[in-house]
Amino acid sequence: MIFLFIIIPLLLAGLMPLLGKISKRFLPDLLANATMLFLLVFSVLSAKPLIAHGGVIQQAFWFGAPLNIRLLLDGFSLFMLFTISLVSFAVTLYSINYMEHYGAKANYYALLLVMIAGMNGLVLTSDLFNIYLFLEVAAVASYALVAFGQGHDELEASFKYLMLSAVASAAILLSIAVIFGLTGGLSFGTVASGLKMLNIKYVVGFCSGLFLMGFGLKAAIVPFHSWLPDAHPSAPAPISAMLSGVLIKVSGVYAMMRIFLNVFGLTPALTTVLTVLGIASIFVGALAALGQNDIKRMLAYSSISQIGYVILGFGIGTPLGFIGGLFHLFNHALFKSLLFLNAGAVEQSTGTRSLDKMGGLAKRMPLTAATSAVGSLSIAGVPPLNGFWSKLLIIIALVQAKMVILAVLAVLGSVITLWYYLVLQHNAFFGKLNETWKSVREAPFWMSAATVLLALLCIVTGLVFPMVIHSWLQPAADVLSGGVAVALNFIGF
Amino acid sequence: MHLFLMIGLVAFSILAVLTRDLLRSAICLAVASVFLALVFFRMNAVYAGVFEVSVVAGLITVLFITAIALTRGDQEVAENKHHMLVFPFFFLFLIVFDILVMRKLLGRIPAIAGSEAGTFGEVLWNQRTFDLVGQIGVIFAGVLAVLALFRQGENPRKGDTTLPGGQPQGGSSHE
Repeated sequence: MIFLFIIIPLLLAGLMPLLGKISKRFLPDLLANATMLFLLVFSVLSAKPLIAHGGVIQQAFWFGAPLNIRLLLDGFSLFMLFTISLVSFAVTLYSINYMEHYGAKANYYALLLVMIAGMNGLVLTSDLFNIYLFLEVAAVASYALVAFGQGHDELEASFKYLMLSAVASAAILLSIAVIFGLTGGLSFGTVASGLKMLNIKYVVGFCSGLFLMGFGLKAAIVPFHSWLPDAHPSAPAPISAMLSGVLIKVSGVYAMMRIFLNVFGLTPALTTVLTVLGIASIFVGALAALGQNDIKRMLAYSSISQIGYVILGFGIGTPLGFIGGLFHLFNHALFKSLLFLNAGAVEQSTGTRSLDKMGGLAKRMPLTAATSAVGSLSIAGVPPLNGFWSKLLIIIALVQAKMVILAVLAVLGSVITLWYYLVLQHNAFFGKLNETWKSVREAPFWMSAATVLLALLCIVTGLVFPMVIHSWLQPAADVLSGGVAVALNFIGF
Repeated sequence: MHLFLMIGLVAFSILAVLTRDLLRSAICLAVASVFLALVFFRMNAVYAGVFEVSVVAGLITVLFITAIALTRGDQEVAENKHHMLVFPFFFLFLIVFDILVMRKLLGRIPAIAGSEAGTFGEVLWNQRTFDLVGQIGVIFAGVLAVLALFRQGENPRKGDTTLPGGQPQGGSSHE
């Protein structure tokens, strides 16, 4: 049953170009949105009860015959599946109107579905080589989606993204090869028990370094971030939302944390490296965002900064740190998708991404301005919105772990975030309306519906955060806190 | 013999990167691939060797040469030459690092890996079934990427239309 998370988007992706021949817009729009809604409901209603008593391994069947495909569903993977499905649904809703002028909608949805199948596969596997393989599935689709506009900037950004991703893949593959050579296995359980038996901390350190470089490139943490400010702004807005909202988290943060925490086990050295890289990402991303005039480029740098908070939360290594990191991961998926979708609406209405040329757009685009304000305040950590609670949890976890200086730096990073988001809001939406934008209209219905949905979720998540922590974050944090024992439990499956 | 093959592989790989002429670069890549296939054969990875020769050295080289033949030669693009210095520097650094550190370390690693896991077919179909789903995903992604990126405009191309704000639309607005 869990296999449906991979097979449904993959099958639909195969059918999409054929459906596009019958109906250029209606059928692709309908089926893509229906698929995303189904996966979202499926993750809440059917998959959640499965993990009521801990993680499960499910075997796939083909016409009643068992296949050698076993998928691992636990609190962490379900939390990621839910996040992917939620953002994907908002993105497909938005794409109904936004992708009209690009053409080839069926191909666009097909690539998006392959990317989602890749991410779902990565999240559900319990095998190192499968992680690499599904990482590539999502990555190949994302290269094409970044270049979907076929313009010079898009193609250049996509090529840069492809080249740096190839370096990341090489590092990941080399590390997997070394581990396979040592332990003779690739499943999490076999590798975890093999490494425990061998007790070779220097080789594990070498492999951790390679994984850190590979997954760090995918997650765009400093110093592996240089591709993101080009790739994310150049893509169509819904794809920027997918890339910043979920892809960097699934192919970077999730894969890294799953391996470091459940297969290798978190060591003090790794804790130090992760917290230092987290803080460096927060400041490099925030300071670079301050100097940006291109709205999408500012959001891209902001993603680097916010991923820093997530890495910092995980790096602390305490249960509260895990909850804080997971909560910020989820929140960032919501508000960064929202902000990229809003930036797309502004770009489509005005034809520019330059903040200097905007001004007073709230008068012409009130819904976009209001939802953008919610997103900006959430990401800056203004109470009682969701970003406030996740940052607060990370800061409390830092204080509890006696990392007071890092806690102060994290607060400072949040102040800088508030600063540049106020600059964004002021330059784009407030002040006197520029004469050029007199004829600008509010974003079309489905684009507005998607942004309103995400803005409401930012508010509601902030208001009911104890419930979110209890039902979604705690089971995921328990998996991470369980460490290597979680993988060893599934040995032999 | 192994050393000779590895030197050939590395030398032709470097030539493929550094050669300015695309055709020569593609041929160098094919030769490098043949060397890699020979290494595979000598290490008893017969299937990997066959795929390397037939797909990488054969099929992909033919595709490269066809694509180059279809490209006009009058489109000179100015490129910066820094990589001519950077690449050899990093390569030398890697070699020195390898000789000093890795060789010694690798020999001291204890391993518990088994040598046999079954035949190629058994491994692929019975043990690594999930990999096939991933392979299908990668192939889908590749085919759909080609369809999407080489599409002919069913709608006006981006940048050709005028939006309500009076500005040309598109992602290329790095003012």
